Amino acid sequence: MGILDKLEEIKQDFEKALRSCKDINRAEEIKVKFLGRKGELTGILKSLSALSEDEKREVGKKANLFKIEFTDKINKVKENLLHEKEEGKQKELDVTLPGFKPSLGTIHPISRVMSRISDIFTSLGFTVAEGPEIETEFYNFEALNIPLDHPSRDAFDTFYIEGKYLLRSHTSNVQIHIMQHQKPPMQVIMPGRVYRPDAVDASHSFMFHQVEGLMVDKGVSFSDLKGVLEVFCKSMFGEDIKTRLRPHFFPFTEPSAEVDISCIICKGQGCRVCKGNGWLEILGAGMVNPKVFEAVGYDPAEYTGYAFGMGVERIAMLLYGIEDIRLFFENDIRFLKQFV
Amino acid sequence: MKLSYEWIKEYVDLNVSPEELADGLTMSGSEVESMSEEGNDMVMDLEITSNRPDCLSIIGLAREASAVFDEDLKMPDMGVGTETQAGDVKVGCTIKNPELCPYYTARIIKDINVKGIEGKIKDRISVLGMRPVNNVVDITNYCLIELGQPLHAFDLDKIKDGKVIIRSAKKRERITTIDGVERELQDGMLVIADAERAIAIAGIMGGIDTEVSASTKNILLESAYFDPISIRRTGRALGLSSDSSYRFERGVDKGLVKKASDRAVNIIASEAGGKVCDFIESGKIETEKTVIEIDTERIDGLLGVSIGKERIKNILNRLGLSIKEESGNKFKVGVPSFREDLKRDVDLIEELARIYGYGNIPVTINRFVPGVKRKEKPREVEEKIRDTVAALGLNEIMTYSLISDDSVRKFEALSEKAVGLSNPLSEEQKFLTPQLLDGMLKTISWNINRTNKDLELFEIGKIYSHAKGERKYGEESALCIGLTGIMRKTWKEGDKQASLYDLKGIVEALANRLKISLVFQGTKIEGLTSPTEIKLTGEKQMAGFLGGVRTTLLSEYDITQPVFICQLKLGEITEKAVLENRYRSIPRFPFSTRDVSILCDQALPAGDIIKVINDTGEEIVCSVELADVYEGKNIPDGKKSLTYSIQYGLDTRTLTDEEIEAVHEKIKAVLAKKLNVSFR
Repeated sequence: MGILDKLEEIKQDFEKALRSCKDINRAEEIKVKFLGRKGELTGILKSLSALSEDEKREVGKKANLFKIEFTDKINKVKENLLHEKEEGKQKELDVTLPGFKPSLGTIHPISRVMSRISDIFTSLGFTVAEGPEIETEFYNFEALNIPLDHPSRDAFDTFYIEGKYLLRSHTSNVQIHIMQHQKPPMQVIMPGRVYRPDAVDASHSFMFHQVEGLMVDKGVSFSDLKGVLEVFCKSMFGEDIKTRLRPHFFPFTEPSAEVDISCIICKGQGCRVCKGNGWLEILGAGMVNPKVFEAVGYDPAEYTGYAFGMGVERIAMLLYGIEDIRLFFENDIRFLKQFV
Repeated sequence: MKLSYEWIKEYVDLNVSPEELADGLTMSGSEVESMSEEGNDMVMDLEITSNRPDCLSIIGLAREASAVFDEDLKMPDMGVGTETQAGDVKVGCTIKNPELCPYYTARIIKDINVKGIEGKIKDRISVLGMRPVNNVVDITNYCLIELGQPLHAFDLDKIKDGKVIIRSAKKRERITTIDGVERELQDGMLVIADAERAIAIAGIMGGIDTEVSASTKNILLESAYFDPISIRRTGRALGLSSDSSYRFERGVDKGLVKKASDRAVNIIASEAGGKVCDFIESGKIETEKTVIEIDTERIDGLLGVSIGKERIKNILNRLGLSIKEESGNKFKVGVPSFREDLKRDVDLIEELARIYGYGNIPVTINRFVPGVKRKEKPREVEEKIRDTVAALGLNEIMTYSLISDDSVRKFEALSEKAVGLSNPLSEEQKFLTPQLLDGMLKTISWNINRTNKDLELFEIGKIYSHAKGERKYGEESALCIGLTGIMRKTWKEGDKQASLYDLKGIVEALANRLKISLVFQGTKIEGLTSPTEIKLTGEKQMAGFLGGVRTTLLSEYDITQPVFICQLKLGEITEKAVLENRYRSIPRFPFSTRDVSILCDQALPAGDIIKVINDTGEEIVCSVELADVYEGKNIPDGKKSLTYSIQYGLDTRTLTDEEIEAVHEKIKAVLAKKLNVSFR
């Protein structure tokens, strides 16, 4: 066996000894065994004089490197053993005491539901856009085919500011802004805050949130609308949810529909929440009325489209089982912290 | 609209249960909201949309049912069965405002016997919730429900001089309506008058003076068409709505005005006796002869399903529409007078779709508009801010954007002039908020009053202002943060009270996340202690402010513990924010740290020291961190000690101790000279 092989063997022995070292005394023994005056590595260094000049240089260099390495390693092991000894003196910790918990912030349930709605629709290829809350009659009513002095306007009682300026009563105004500034095709959702002069009670608020959707292209059909809404309802409320569309009337869509989902509480059996009929109305939808296209300068013979709108509070109330809309705006910390 | 199951069956052969009928009507657009058993009948309550006044009648709903269940519609006998005779009283009708009443008819019936009514008519109107009055009134109500045309009977002998004048009300003219309420009318409201006074508010409610009573011998039966807008305005102005006005304001069937009168006369004659006399007709009414062309390809394309020509014709016919012409894929369809809501092809497509059944239209999901950008930057930044601040342990709140005059006044110094509403619902919601502080303090107060005193809250909301330019008003997103009470509690280290530095730290962490640089500077702001303005580096405009809330302001919110508050406008911040940045290589050469302990005047802002260190240290100062601030023992009065750790290093090589020492000493020299500090 050559002297270099002997060195490698010493190194392996050293590392093996170190791995099984459990206390300070043993570490000291190892140090003496390998690095002491009569130690193994010291022995090699002492025997160098018997070697040729070349061997002397090579073996000497390696042995010296090992000496540095061994010293360093044994010192680190000793340090760790010392720490362990210190810790050992302490009592065992009571692990049933509570941990030091960093506080988790919360996102308001309306924000959460809005971003969930946005996520679903962006995954279907929709972009997200916003529009003004302070609006003119043109965008809130006229362009959407809601004439003045017509009973269809009853559903849209409105706060006025001055002259033609008002607080939008729905997010449909954003449809008009977008169509005025963009050419089809478009597939966009428009979340936002809306206002109606309703006295506040458990189910009414003068301020609430909506998400509006719009798709315009050549050849968009009612069955496309059904497809998108079905995917949305299932993503939002669960895969086993059934949806149905009922004919309805909105001035800005024709044909128009109200969309119901099977009651998420009783699974369609009939309960208090769905007033016994097994269905919950959750959004309004329809094919964009050609009059709306004319108001924004699109050719209704060339383009068709669909639009839909939903109330965010309504969806949040159903999802979380909240029975009073006022809870959203009271911001009681005991309410907010539940949405962690 | 209430519907009787037994009544509707008179006009259409239905082999379905009440439940099946309700479902059929609901799924074709006349939503049955509830159903209840009344005697031997089932009564349904329907929500009829404002475009379908024709469905505000049993006949209209029967027509719907006939289409849905594909059964024949059987119209009631509409002719005047009784022979008419010339009366001896001369009655004249004059329309003064033909734009508000284009057509008015009156039928005179003499020598009738007004009494209570029994049997079918009484049962039916009672079942639908109408209170029986006497045979004449009950029959007019019966016809209103059956046909949808409101009728009104006057006591002929109480009409002065036999003159019926349809005119605009005089200013402050008064009338007592049949509900016993005296009402003051306004100029422009349409009334039915005799020679002397108003005897009815046209289309809305009759007057009590000419009401048909047990002593009535002769009647005048009115059937007319009134302008829907006029009826709606008058009703709203008077706060008065009736079964009549509800139908008139939605538009009654122009083709049915005379026929409905005949139908009622017929029933009155058989139930109350009397001689059917003169029929007086004033003005004229033209029914619109709308013809709509539709194309099966357009129908199929818009619905995504092929309905088939035969089914199309069948549905349209069942709904009372007529096919005028058919060539290839095209139809010309005539619209009857009771469906003025049908104006263009999409309206007919809706008719086809709803009777065919929305549920029978297939579901497709194969459209996708390719777009590069799914969100605009302001939205992305807002989401990032929300996530960051929540991750820092704060709770998001959402407060009303409408606030009171009082709330506006509290923050006048901190906000622009508020935008007011012209028709507020209450004093509490009169202005669009120009700041988010009021909502924050209200929320803090609400929670403290419920014994939750430790609050870390934030809101991202809009603030509103007057603006110059095309749009008269501005709205901008802003962030508000409020801290109060204990921020962190552990059983080992004790409680940590919220401080201004906690608030500033949150803002700094947020700036770090958005990769923007903010400057904080003391300033004067009414209502705040340690008021600090926040600017984006290099910008003149203030982006926001932070500070403690003065106790005077806190007391107004019933708060008695320190609150720290911040508001930041997000406009400029959004522009400057960097959402994804380029990577910078990790330094390859080791850095060295030197501490310096500075003794200076208490009033010296720490920011000045950092600035000197950075400016003097040039490119080799990598970071300066405040390690300790100390006042008290061993420090002279009026002085403080600040210890900074300065990190030195270069990207290109390792600095020598001599180089570092030289710069470190230079920094100390400049600090001493410029800021008059000494070192410990």
